[in-house]
Amino acid sequence: MDFELLLGLGRFVLATTLLLLLTVPTAFVVIQMEMKIIAQMNLRFGPNRIGPKGIFQSTIHGFKVLAKEDTVPDQADRSTFTLAPWMVFMAAAMSMLVIPFAPGAIAADFNIGIVYFFAVLGLSVVGLLVAGWASYNKYSLLGGLRSAAQMVSYEIPLTLSIVGAVVLAGTLSFSELIAWQLDHGWLLMWQPIGLGIFYVSSLAEVNRTPFDMVEADSELVAGPFTEYSGMRFGFFFFAEYVALFIMSAILVSLFFGGWLAPWPFPAQLGGFAGTLYGIFWFFLKTYIFVFIAVWLRATLPRVRVDQLMGMAWKVLLPLALVNLFITAIAVVVFDL
Amino acid sequence: MTKLDPETRIPDPIELDAIEEARLRAAAGLAPIRSSTPEYAGFDQVGIPDRPPQTEREREVYSLEEGEMLINMGPQHPSTHGVMRLVVKVRGEIVVDIDPVLGYLHRGIEKLCENATYTTVLTYVDPMDYLATMHNEHAPAIAFEKLYGIRPPKRAEYIRALVVELERVSSHGLMMGFLALDMGGLTPILYAFINRDEIVDMQSAISGQRMLFNFFRVGGVNFDTNDEFLSRLGTWRGHVLKNIEMNERMITDNEIFRARTINMGTLSGADAISLGVTGPNLRASGVPFDVRKAHPYSIYHELEFDVITQQSGDSYARYLQRIAEIKQSIHLIDQIMDKMPHGPVQAQVPGIIRPKPGRAYAAIESPRGLYSVYSISDGGPNPYRFRMRDPSFISLQAMPKLMPGRLVADTMAIMASLDPVMGGVDK
Repeated sequence: MDFELLLGLGRFVLATTLLLLLTVPTAFVVIQMEMKIIAQMNLRFGPNRIGPKGIFQSTIHGFKVLAKEDTVPDQADRSTFTLAPWMVFMAAAMSMLVIPFAPGAIAADFNIGIVYFFAVLGLSVVGLLVAGWASYNKYSLLGGLRSAAQMVSYEIPLTLSIVGAVVLAGTLSFSELIAWQLDHGWLLMWQPIGLGIFYVSSLAEVNRTPFDMVEADSELVAGPFTEYSGMRFGFFFFAEYVALFIMSAILVSLFFGGWLAPWPFPAQLGGFAGTLYGIFWFFLKTYIFVFIAVWLRATLPRVRVDQLMGMAWKVLLPLALVNLFITAIAVVVFDL
Repeated sequence: MTKLDPETRIPDPIELDAIEEARLRAAAGLAPIRSSTPEYAGFDQVGIPDRPPQTEREREVYSLEEGEMLINMGPQHPSTHGVMRLVVKVRGEIVVDIDPVLGYLHRGIEKLCENATYTTVLTYVDPMDYLATMHNEHAPAIAFEKLYGIRPPKRAEYIRALVVELERVSSHGLMMGFLALDMGGLTPILYAFINRDEIVDMQSAISGQRMLFNFFRVGGVNFDTNDEFLSRLGTWRGHVLKNIEMNERMITDNEIFRARTINMGTLSGADAISLGVTGPNLRASGVPFDVRKAHPYSIYHELEFDVITQQSGDSYARYLQRIAEIKQSIHLIDQIMDKMPHGPVQAQVPGIIRPKPGRAYAAIESPRGLYSVYSISDGGPNPYRFRMRDPSFISLQAMPKLMPGRLVADTMAIMASLDPVMGGVDK
């Protein structure tokens, strides 16, 4: 076995371990943000007992689900019921592999990173569908079917919305896309329609309000998660919040320059300091979008399932195609 | 003292009972009892009662065609407004039929009241419609006064009108919040509770209780107004409209909210009348019927207010109707405070009231509609018959009419727009 392969293997193990370890605190931070920010917006105090200003509340919740009894319904399909949370969680964790945190801090800088990302994140729908089916519960079944319909529909405008950006930059790799944005300015200015479509569809893709059809607590109790308890429920919960973080991270990478700093600051620095500098700006921008998603949750009611589907097929999809068409013509005409 | 042999198995009393019952049944020649855990009927059969249908309607609801299934919403469901069970027959996500199953909160309040003296009846009716407790007490108080042939002092009538209008503001305010909550909006309900909390504080200042007030008496009210009540009322009056408006800004013009309520659950005026729906739900369908105007009781003939109606009769109209009525109620509260006379708050009545034999009927406008009490006296210290008409119960009858053809997601939104309170429905 040659040294190169060993190095590659070691790098792979290190990167995946670090990313898997990163998912847990990320979920804790996002859940904490959700609890505290929504509380403040509701004019409540929110968590304020555990840790200073209650900052460890979500951590305690995480440990609490570990300690809870793990039940499986009598009539449930035991093997798939057990497998479903892993499928959902792994889809979220695996898509973290291509997130460009900073120069030199990408776990796997594929040349087809964007394609990989959408392929892997789309896998979570399988887990939700399986969970809905295996639970042997009508709420779960309806929730699982809803999730399948919703995520399959929104995947199309979501993917099409960034094809414009890909055509413009001429690359499918995240790091090259960010390098392009360094030269030409953030894609936000080139692809405003694409950004709008991407943002709306990404909220639907990660089941956030106003598109949280899948759980829809006032209609379907907890959708496909109804029969889950203990750590299995915890995995769904984690996956959901990690997915929110990932979607915000991808939004930042695609349209807001990733790790690049905004105007008055130097866009990026070299060396190890540059990596830290990039990580700082990347996380700042990402959490701004997480905050906006939480804000939306505190503000908006939920759309109905048929309105949701209608929007995907009647509004977002045509708009994405028009956007792609205009971009393609512009690329040819102006030779961008 | 005898020592127990450690090997002795102490029998379970429940088990002993079962054995004894089986022995007695066998001795009496009766069939053995069925096992308490019947065999699992299968996914499609869940929700179908395990007895032959007893009415035509039951046969219709519980017979499934190809592709249909029943969903049991409740009695333990996050948004059935208490313990109500809706058996929803769906084809995919589309509701084909709906069967509200009631009685999970039945406490036999009418019967309890028939065994209580006239004074204590007023404590039993409190927990019926728990968002309009003052209204619950108002109708029996009027009915018993009619039976006994007294009238409360003027000031008592004004205080009664004041507290019931306050209660109406709090109840309608909560309806705004619950409607949004059932569509997934988290914030309006908490804004609504700010308003309600202030009103509850006021009511607690005047009556000493926060929810089940026991404030009305036959021939008056329990306490006169006090400084704390008045100062809280003044503070509240200063910002209540701003508070309601803050909540309205979250909901009224929200595109998603409008898309989910406009043309949803449309109840025509004629249907509403034939179903017996009253109150804001009826007025939202364009029928200007308000008990306070149509059959004035208490002091409502001395006050000036409008009967507001909406035209469309959909969920959105029912929501707008509540907001309009909140504003009318605040207008009424202003007038009541201006005109409040001085004097006693309680007429002279004996501790145990024994009205002459007779009948009395009293109807009031509760936040949910016409709430009425019919009481028969046989000359004894407690009512011979005591009957209450609860408006939520009647409103729920509209559900099977409104739902077919809508989606599962709309069941809760439409139900919340009818604003039923299960405590009142099940009595």
